[in-house]
Amino acid sequence: MSTTVHKKPPETRRYRAPAPLGGRRNPAIGQRRKNFQALAFLLPALVVLGAFTAWPMFSALRLSFTDASGFGKEEWVGFENYTRIFTDPVIINAVVNTALYALLFTPTAVALALALALLLNDPRLPFRGFFRTALFLPFIISLAVAAIAWAYLIDPQVGLLNYWLGNAGIRIGNVLQDPVLAMPAVAFVAVWKSFGFYMVIFLAGLQEIPGTLYEAARVDGAGPWTRFRHVTMPMLSNTTAFVLIFALIAALQAFDQIYVMTGGGPYGHTETVVMQIYTSGFRKLDVGFASALSYVLLAATLLLSVIQFVFFGKREREGD
Amino acid sequence: MNRSLTLLTAVAAASLVLTSCSGAGAGSGNKEGSKAELTFWHGYTEADGKVLNKIVEDFNASQSEVSIKVQTNPWSVIDDTLLPALSSGNGPDIVAMPAERLPVYADKGAFVELDDLYKDPNSNLDKLVPAAADMETVNGHKYGVPSGFVPLAMFYNKDLFAKAGITTPPATWDQWIAAAKKLTVDANGDGTPEQFGLGLPDHATVANGVWPSLFYGNGGDIVKDGKAVVDSPENAETLKTWVDAIRNDKISPTGLDGIAGDKLFSSGKAAMYLGGPWMSSIAKENNINYGIAAVPAGPKDQAASAIGVSMAIIEQKDDSKAAAAQKFFSYFLQKEQATAWSLGSGWPPLRSDIPAADVAANPVVEALTKQSGFGRPLLPGVVNSTDTLTAVDKLTQRAVAGESIQDLLSETQASIQKILDAK
Repeated sequence: MSTTVHKKPPETRRYRAPAPLGGRRNPAIGQRRKNFQALAFLLPALVVLGAFTAWPMFSALRLSFTDASGFGKEEWVGFENYTRIFTDPVIINAVVNTALYALLFTPTAVALALALALLLNDPRLPFRGFFRTALFLPFIISLAVAAIAWAYLIDPQVGLLNYWLGNAGIRIGNVLQDPVLAMPAVAFVAVWKSFGFYMVIFLAGLQEIPGTLYEAARVDGAGPWTRFRHVTMPMLSNTTAFVLIFALIAALQAFDQIYVMTGGGPYGHTETVVMQIYTSGFRKLDVGFASALSYVLLAATLLLSVIQFVFFGKREREGD
Repeated sequence: MNRSLTLLTAVAAASLVLTSCSGAGAGSGNKEGSKAELTFWHGYTEADGKVLNKIVEDFNASQSEVSIKVQTNPWSVIDDTLLPALSSGNGPDIVAMPAERLPVYADKGAFVELDDLYKDPNSNLDKLVPAAADMETVNGHKYGVPSGFVPLAMFYNKDLFAKAGITTPPATWDQWIAAAKKLTVDANGDGTPEQFGLGLPDHATVANGVWPSLFYGNGGDIVKDGKAVVDSPENAETLKTWVDAIRNDKISPTGLDGIAGDKLFSSGKAAMYLGGPWMSSIAKENNINYGIAAVPAGPKDQAASAIGVSMAIIEQKDDSKAAAAQKFFSYFLQKEQATAWSLGSGWPPLRSDIPAADVAANPVVEALTKQSGFGRPLLPGVVNSTDTLTAVDKLTQRAVAGESIQDLLSETQASIQKILDAK
């Protein structure tokens, strides 16, 4: 985005400092040493990544073509697990639910994060530091803990929220057991917990935007909406793409709060793909099938991320 | 570049050796002497755990060939960690788990088959309560030994009963529903009672046993001899009776699960509740003046689904460990130990030759022991109990939500049969 803004003047002959005492090193040797140092620093991380990410991924790919239980004998079954994914109504239900969850969670979390970031970026707002911290706070607690707390709050019998609303004459009923409301409820908890993180990323992005652009826009007579539409949004497009992809990946991996709050219920209405992976692997000891399902989820996530990336990349180029 | 490459490989090799060393170190433990050292995972984390660990210690002291080390974790943690432990080969030698979780592991070959032990007259296994032993059969073979077997019981709030003028706990379904209606109070008339006659969860019920108990009471069942039998006129009648009582007479909130049901009873908002032995301590903690009665008899039968816990031996190369573990099972089921375990755990004795009078020291255990005979194992031998129970949960939850019972039953019948057929 900054390609057209600043163009460095063509460099003239650069000033070369006198050689230090002891002479100048052969740059080739220096480079090799640097490479080695870099590798040495990377090695611990690479070993950990290799042992705990690459190797399990590779194993899971192999297992996805077997009827493995995780122990004992396993037999090669070809694409049977993959066929099952696209024919089993329970899995298809989980896929539909995951898509619904992603549709509820991603836009809400991103829009809320952006709106609050814009608000908190305004220097006229008092106690900005306090609000930023307060809104970020939910992110640092565990999603499972947040889920337990919210489940208590909205409990129809002993919940505080129901008690307060009940005094005001409003009945929200048993939200988590309502086939229509359960999914929005679990999505809401995830939004509450994670928008603070996206907000901080947006804030960082907003602070990167040079104030001169806004001044220029104001001089040209642009109102707040026009400034947002034609300065903020284009300048934030990279950040937005990043946040959207992050939020989407988080949405596709929804598990914790659903497991805690509804366990997939009522009758399968909040059952997601990751819950099915967990149930297949750890409850039914069908590790082969769980691996296949993980790979299908990985492929779907990758595909959606690439589409978003290309889409936002295009907008960015057009915006220039 | 060459030198750096060799260095790199050296470091990589060293780290590999280090990690593999630690792996081997954890696996091989027992070399010195001929004493078999076993690890036992169980989820008895309360006072019951102390009693069980005492029995293990006594066993260790009683002989010199076997030494058992106990590791306690919540049941759900055991279930989540057993699979990785099995695949890494670093698992326990003996593991206890909810009885309906045993078949899936046994079917995948995780456990040692115990048919010979069951035939051995010195193993004490022939003294087991027969229904408890039934929990351990998978594909025609025995794979476990029960460490707990207790039918669901009815807990009732004596103060609320007195307030409503009811003197004895109901003994039949008719009395039960009548009492529940009487105990349901909607003082402000807003259509939502402040006090419910019964906490009747419609899904994720206590040990998944509430609806099976109701089905048994009217002569119905879920799975029989490997066939789905859920779609029966008896079950249709059962569902209709209770769904009517919940929806029309509002004797219980809808959408309740086992945990919410526990809370409802312990907060004094439900007068009756079907629960496990732990309800007595929960009720006591919350100052509920409670009584215990058997699940009221249905029109055809008096029966209740049992909460079961099974112990099994992990299949491994070393046969001596399996033999050592079997010694412990026989010791555990001796009359003295079985009585101590019953009193300590608060569950009825596992041996049929220990009468209720022998455990009268604990009135709760005595009361539960009198009901032992009503206990029926939940889905014995059903490998995919997970999906089967989910299907039953969906059935009851949707029925309570008001969907057509007949459609639901035939749908559930088909899906359970499909689950049983998939192998």
